[in-house]
Amino acid sequence: MRFDNARSGIAPEEVAETNTALALSGSWKVVVLNDPVNSMSYVVLVFRKVFGFEENKARIHMLEVHEKGRSVVWAGLREKAELYAFTLQQWHLTAVLESDEAH
Amino acid sequence: MKRIEVKLSLPVVAPLLDLMKASSDVLQAQIAAPLTLEDIDADFRDEWRAELLAGQQEELSALMGLFDSDFFVNAVVAFDEDNAEIIVRACSALRLRLRRHDLRRLNDEQLESGGIDVDTLPERLRKPFMCYLFLATIQELIIQHLDAAILQGGSDESAQDEDSGEDEDDDGDDDDADDLDGKEGA
Repeated sequence: MRFDNARSGIAPEEVAETNTALALSGSWKVVVLNDPVNSMSYVVLVFRKVFGFEENKARIHMLEVHEKGRSVVWAGLREKAELYAFTLQQWHLTAVLESDEAH
Repeated sequence: MKRIEVKLSLPVVAPLLDLMKASSDVLQAQIAAPLTLEDIDADFRDEWRAELLAGQQEELSALMGLFDSDFFVNAVVAFDEDNAEIIVRACSALRLRLRRHDLRRLNDEQLESGGIDVDTLPERLRKPFMCYLFLATIQELIIQHLDAAILQGGSDESAQDEDSGEDEDDDGDDDDADDLDGKEGA
């Protein structure tokens, strides 16, 4: 169904703002990608440090990265996901953001 | 304060320092890990990149600072809770650079298996590979002896909180419902 802004009485600016708000509030995933350099113990340490994971959980995610090439380590609001991705990049891990809607 | 001192072999390590310095110089202007920031707003992306680079420069400065004139007298480097995190990160940055540049001809399987015999490598790869191993050894020493200091440090507290987001665990278990709860400063 086509959304008719004129009939809805909502100004385009308001629609744009709403779309932005939705993009920011939707669910975003923080995905760590495999790299052949950083050691398993290092990746476990980083997951424990950044996310506060218990060692076993950090190890599970590390093995997932190692074996499957990627692991979703966190999901939630965009702003927070960006902060996590940034922090992981500070630790020189390759981290990307993915929108839940993209998959 | 827990502190470890490592006595190194000068004849082995000294020749590696030039390469470490050269790699470090390149990383003054280049992020070590590949960045995928397409989704990020352009202005924010530049800021993000600049901040990552500044952090990386600081790390590399701390690492290279270990090998000062005193080092050439006593051949000892020391790690403690003040420098453990920054050094372990610097080692990661340098290893990434060595992998992507000097060791690019080696395949991932070879590197990950750890089964490379240095003597079988072409001459031009030996020093970078030794350097790559040396940095990994420093990392492992720090992780083995000072992981608690790193985990208790507060630099990543800003990324953790108690209420937003949920952990996404692909294995489908429910052992992590409280992953972010009560972990501030973990």
